[in-house]
Amino acid sequence: MAQKNKKILIIEDEFLIGELYVRSLNKEGYVSELVIDGAEALKKAQTNEYDIILLDLMLPNLDGVEILKTLKNPSLTPGFKAKIIITTNIEERKDIKKAIEKEADGYVIKADITPSELVTLVNSVNDGQ
Amino acid sequence: MDELKQVIRKAWLNIFTVITVFNLIIMFCLYYAISKKWLRLDYNFYIAILFFVILNFVYFYKVTRKLFKPFETIWQTIAHLNQNSQIEKPDIESLKIAHSLTENLTKQITQMSISKNQATLEMNKEPDLKHNFIAKNLPIPLLVLDNSENIIFANEEFARYIGLQVEDIINKNFYMIVDMSFPSEDTFDVWLKDSKLNRATALKSWVRVRIAIRDNHPIRLFDLAAYYNRDNSFNETTIITIFDHTKQYLQDDNAIGFVALSVHELRTPLTLLRGYAEAIKEELGNNANQQAINFLSKLDVSAKQMTSFVNNILNVARIDNDQLELKLQPEDWSNIITDSVSGMLLRAKIREIEIKIEIEPNLPLVGVDRISIYEVISNLIDNAIKYSGSSKEIILKTYLNRDGLVETLVQDFGLGISENILSNLFTKYYRDHHNRAQIGGTGLGLYLSKAIISAHGGNIWVTSKIDHGSIFYFTLIPFEKLTADLKENSNQSITTTAHGWIKNHSLYRR
Repeated sequence: MAQKNKKILIIEDEFLIGELYVRSLNKEGYVSELVIDGAEALKKAQTNEYDIILLDLMLPNLDGVEILKTLKNPSLTPGFKAKIIITTNIEERKDIKKAIEKEADGYVIKADITPSELVTLVNSVNDGQ
Repeated sequence: MDELKQVIRKAWLNIFTVITVFNLIIMFCLYYAISKKWLRLDYNFYIAILFFVILNFVYFYKVTRKLFKPFETIWQTIAHLNQNSQIEKPDIESLKIAHSLTENLTKQITQMSISKNQATLEMNKEPDLKHNFIAKNLPIPLLVLDNSENIIFANEEFARYIGLQVEDIINKNFYMIVDMSFPSEDTFDVWLKDSKLNRATALKSWVRVRIAIRDNHPIRLFDLAAYYNRDNSFNETTIITIFDHTKQYLQDDNAIGFVALSVHELRTPLTLLRGYAEAIKEELGNNANQQAINFLSKLDVSAKQMTSFVNNILNVARIDNDQLELKLQPEDWSNIITDSVSGMLLRAKIREIEIKIEIEPNLPLVGVDRISIYEVISNLIDNAIKYSGSSKEIILKTYLNRDGLVETLVQDFGLGISENILSNLFTKYYRDHHNRAQIGGTGLGLYLSKAIISAHGGNIWVTSKIDHGSIFYFTLIPFEKLTADLKENSNQSITTTAHGWIKNHSLYRR
């Protein structure tokens, strides 16, 4: 499988949701890891070990938008390679949402999809790599 | 003129007196000559005297006229320069005496008069300067436009308000500088166009006008007032002022923030519900009890239904605060229909309802916002499912109607809606009393659908018969027609709100 050994970092403050995502993605052959804390998540993401990052926006200590900005800024995170999919349940204001969508590789409302639908989305982002 | 006449008369009298005395002396001399018999007195003598007197009179009249003509000319010049007088300009060329002197004098008088008028104008300008000073320093944004909507005056407050310098604004086109969006189609530019065509003067105000964010300058929300005066001699055609209500209106926006937060809180357990239902289904595998699988499907459908409802709440809050913004793009309508319906199939299936789709081939591309229009279709199908009663069929048909619009209908054969409430159906929270007890829902769906369809430039309506079911129709504008109507480049998308096109100087904004 193409997705074998692909590493996914799931940044998700709702542990139960994260757990469901880890389960489905690992079943698909990905190696996924769950982080709840924003600051810790940024440190991990900056190690550049991951191929795909699922990023929630509402996080403890450091919010998702800040993490996104830091990761996508080459002077702050040089050589950053991972694709970022925003997974959130917040309805951002249209202009903020547009700005986020510009930086990210995907944007999805968690309540609108099941874990298996998330896997399909991750697969398509992965294939686009 | 009377005084001058008096002077001339007096002068004439004096001269006449002198001449008369002179004549009398001559006559006395004559008389003396006659008495001494040096002269003979007869009929001819008297005639000669009379002729002499008349000649004197005419001659002196002519002389005084000529002598005083320069004075009269100068007087006439002065009188002529008086703005209110009817006196004509004097004819200097006809002057025989003191021609160049009078000409010089009248020139000087005219020059003095012009200088005086200028000075008076300058003097009169002083209050203008005062007004200018007041306007400049008025703590309310003020803007004056000429007939071509160029900014000819902007006070400091206005410049500050939009985050620019006064000199950056002056002589620029208003629409290029100020990018406003209005809560309805009744916008400033529509009013101004109408006023220019039909009115000499017009006054209007708007509430909840938004100014677009410029270079990180914060968003502004305000009420706007404008005065149009076509016959303004200074070309100050339109005067605009703004009353800032950013704080108050943003508070209303924060109310949406509250809804958004609630929506977030509701979505988390919904995500989990759907996630666990799916996970359990997977764990049970193929050997599972069909009943259990069926229950899990129903659980998923219910969670999904609630997700739609939660989305509806948020969108209604946005519509009410004019924050629903749609991006209309050319889309294949049959694809959207198929996709939307497939999302609803499971919901129909658990009620054992079949959705029949009839799509007319070769429909033109429609200008739609995919996500919003999906909500309309799912709301209408959801309604049809809810109100189907015991009937097991829903028809969804789409075709090009006689007006060249893409028309879609969703028909159920269930409970139907009584005629007297049909007109209220698209009102917020409105539900059929007849059916309320039996059917769940909030009445937000149709309100939302109408707002979304209106924002697409389409119409939505319903026909219904109790116990026979209802047909909901809506129209969408083919993208080509939409762009033609808006004179828009067909490769661009079009931005609209629930209350109409985002407008300012033109019918749309990219």
